[in-house]
Amino acid sequence: MILVSLVLPAAVAVWLLSAGRVVSHKWDNRITVTATVLTLAAVIVAVITRPEVDRPWVPALGLRWHLAVDGISAPLLLLTAILGVGVVVHSMDRQPSGGTPGAFHACLLLVEFGALATFYARDAVLFFVAFEVVLVPMWVLISRFGDPHDRRQRADAAGRFVLYTVFGSTLMLLGILALVVKAGTADLDVLARAAGHGIPVGTQVLIAALLVAGLAVKVPVFPLHTWLPPAHTTAPTAGSVLLAAVLLKMGTYGLVRLPLATVPDGFQRVAPYLAVLGAVSIIWGGLACLAERDLKRLIAYSSVAHMGFVVIGIASGTQTGLQAALFANVAHGVISALLFVVVGGLKDRWGGTDLRTARAAVREVAPRLGFALVVGLAASLGLPGLAGFWGEFLAVYAAWSPADDRPLALFRTIAVVAALGTVLAAAYALRVARVVWAGERREPLIEDSRDSEWDVASVLVLATLVLGVLPGPLLALTSGSVAALVGGGP
Amino acid sequence: MNSLVTIDWLALGPVLAPAAGAVLVLVLDALAPRLARLHFVVALLALLAGAALSVPGTVQPADRPVRTLCLPAPEGACLYEAGPAASALQLVALVAAAVVLLLAWPGAAPETLRLRGGPAVEACLILTASAGAAGVAAAHDLGSWLVCLELATLPVIALVALRGTAAAGRGALALLTTSLVSFAMVVLGAALWVLATGQAVFAGGAVASALADAQRRPVLVLSVLLLLAGLGFKLSLVPFHAWTPQAYAGGSEPVAAFLAATSKVAALAALLVVLGPLVAAQGPVLVAIGIVAALSMTVGNVLALVQDDPVRLLAWSTVAQAGWVVLPLSAASALSVAASSGYLAAYVLATLTAFAVVHVVSTAPAARGVGADRRTLAAYTGLLRSHPLLGGALGLALLSLAGLPPGIIGLVAKVLALRPVVDAGQWTLAAVALVNAVVGVAVYLRWFAVTLRDPDRGPTAAVVRRVPRSAVAGLAVATLLLAATSLMPQLLLGLVD
Repeated sequence: MILVSLVLPAAVAVWLLSAGRVVSHKWDNRITVTATVLTLAAVIVAVITRPEVDRPWVPALGLRWHLAVDGISAPLLLLTAILGVGVVVHSMDRQPSGGTPGAFHACLLLVEFGALATFYARDAVLFFVAFEVVLVPMWVLISRFGDPHDRRQRADAAGRFVLYTVFGSTLMLLGILALVVKAGTADLDVLARAAGHGIPVGTQVLIAALLVAGLAVKVPVFPLHTWLPPAHTTAPTAGSVLLAAVLLKMGTYGLVRLPLATVPDGFQRVAPYLAVLGAVSIIWGGLACLAERDLKRLIAYSSVAHMGFVVIGIASGTQTGLQAALFANVAHGVISALLFVVVGGLKDRWGGTDLRTARAAVREVAPRLGFALVVGLAASLGLPGLAGFWGEFLAVYAAWSPADDRPLALFRTIAVVAALGTVLAAAYALRVARVVWAGERREPLIEDSRDSEWDVASVLVLATLVLGVLPGPLLALTSGSVAALVGGGP
Repeated sequence: MNSLVTIDWLALGPVLAPAAGAVLVLVLDALAPRLARLHFVVALLALLAGAALSVPGTVQPADRPVRTLCLPAPEGACLYEAGPAASALQLVALVAAAVVLLLAWPGAAPETLRLRGGPAVEACLILTASAGAAGVAAAHDLGSWLVCLELATLPVIALVALRGTAAAGRGALALLTTSLVSFAMVVLGAALWVLATGQAVFAGGAVASALADAQRRPVLVLSVLLLLAGLGFKLSLVPFHAWTPQAYAGGSEPVAAFLAATSKVAALAALLVVLGPLVAAQGPVLVAIGIVAALSMTVGNVLALVQDDPVRLLAWSTVAQAGWVVLPLSAASALSVAASSGYLAAYVLATLTAFAVVHVVSTAPAARGVGADRRTLAAYTGLLRSHPLLGGALGLALLSLAGLPPGIIGLVAKVLALRPVVDAGQWTLAAVALVNAVVGVAVYLRWFAVTLRDPDRGPTAAVVRRVPRSAVAGLAVATLLLAATSLMPQLLLGLVD
């Protein structure tokens, strides 16, 4: 089932790129929807039955196709597969501009393939290879299918995205190679069980620093976040959704899988710095959102702030913190997907996203879009009862009472700063609501959401509500694996 | 009476087949000068026979290499010794030469671009240089090593010069001058080697005793540094790289491809033969290799970033990739040789594919009214859409060179090359490699982005009207090899291991 869920999108993507070039957008989309739905079914079966695949691929490097599912990867796999269907359905009645529909759908499928492979991978080097798979399709999505207004801006955003991430992932590769050479195995399960025994602490710190620095580019953590706003702003809606909801998660997932699990002693030394940078990300992202004039860029900056909470949760070193991080990961995936669907839709309708332009109040002219926007913003500011609340609340709580080997005073300060960050979130969410949603203007009229866009948005709204009201099942799904990783603790 | 040395003709096949082919082509040329295609068929068969004969050596265990030309006991040294890595390099060199031959097939290119001297001379020169390349990989004594090394170089100078244009003359001159300088250095290094070890054979024992001796050690180190500098010219490592862009841009694309593929294999194979007995850590030598690798990567990538002529871009990319090739050798690790050969093999496949596409785009019969210079990146505008196969092959090649999936072979090769460096804890070098991985991506994506644009704005749609069949064959071989090794990198990496 794991292999089915990987081979299917890849094969369909290759077909679309080669033989499927002549097919119309409609049929491309139907085929891709079928492929993603089947992939989703395969992922669900894999999450339930938990199969394992392990066969050699490149013996010269000791590289294996070692794929499995556990509590940490299961939610992210489901998120990826569901959003994979979502973005394709969303582009059903929206002809992509800038290239052939076949290439567009193939890129979406390849991103999904790369993300799934990353979350499945149980081999450190395979993880790296899968990590790199998403780069070129995402680069094509941004540079070819992005914002049609400005070619130079597209090229700049796409180039910046790919160069930053290559820098990060090569840094991570150096860390992985150091780890693999020192530990003598690339098997992530074995590495996690050994938990760094037999590697001197100095080396562990070096490895952890390399891995954290490399992955921090992808997350992204301040000051390595500058690729994110232009990439998000320029990418087409489907690309933004995948970027925010799936690609960023690969960074945080990597933080849990690699430094935290394999070199805990080294990670312990690096964690305080990471947590401080996470806190800075929250404040920086929040302040940028208060000043930002471009709506899409504003949502992108809010992603930086939200990922700051995830990073703090991971750095706290407690079971609660890790649970919070994994929960916030999924919650942010859903919320940011929702917001990008809505904002991308608004951008298409308005022809731009400058907040200073006077426009009709969304509440008045497009109530459905307005409703989805308000739910997204409310979840984003961490309103209890919606998905955003639990992850961020628990992350702040975990920072307040971190693991015994973390500096308490520092983490308490971070908790206070992060809590202040939620105030900023409330401020910018209300600012957006005031400017975009509220008001009396009815000119110029825009069309309300319907058909596929509304389907996707309503499913995401529903998911936001369900995760907010019933966080239990998701927390239970991750708790077993988290306990095995962190061991005891509050 | 026993003969002086034992000869196993089959083991010598990879060298003898192309050499015999060269003679045969000359004989055929004398008998039937008009049958140009027949000459090329013979040449192709000779190269394929050589390649087939090098396969058995790749599956031998590393401690039992294919040996022949052995001196009688008690010394028992063998003058020809091909381990798995050497055999794999032979195979890569000969297959690359076969692809070049397909690209240079007579009748494919317009008359104005034909080389002087006729197709027989061209085929003969390619075969001779390939024989040299195959020979140097397995040569185990200084004499045959030097002869094979020059045999691999000199015909290429003629190949560049035969194009007959002023640019070709300049390129050939640059190549000739550097070859002479590098030959002088290599000969001096060889002389010092004999002085230090007392032997004209590359043997571990004599080297070890020379290293242990405080007086002979500096002589040996100086000798290796000289050999390294001489080979640096051939590998186009900075600071010995200046000839590369001139010679590439001066020659025709198939010749440039030959320079970038088979010649590089010959140079690296020669280097590995020298470094083989020196596996024991050699401080100054390793530092020198490290510096040269770092410089080559940086200079090559930065200059490739500003080129507008695709051949020059590929020339500078060769300089950068040569840095990656020798990078693992700067770590005294058991993995180094396999890593270096593996990276080279991956690079050769990718760069051959790229050159094949450049050749097709530059020389394919033009539609009426298209006289513009096709050696600019702008000529590739929209190639991916107007010619999906050409564009796809070029895209795969460029992404492999950049080390990004779907060019997985390039990515795996980068992992392979970095592993010994990390293993040896050379973090400075790793940091330089890290920066260059990023700049390299920028270099190749810049070109790839051009092929992705809308075709209607560029002249390509009209430029490539009909692709010659032989060039398609060459392109197909290179692309299929690249695609197959990207799916299963073990196909390539298993050869050198």
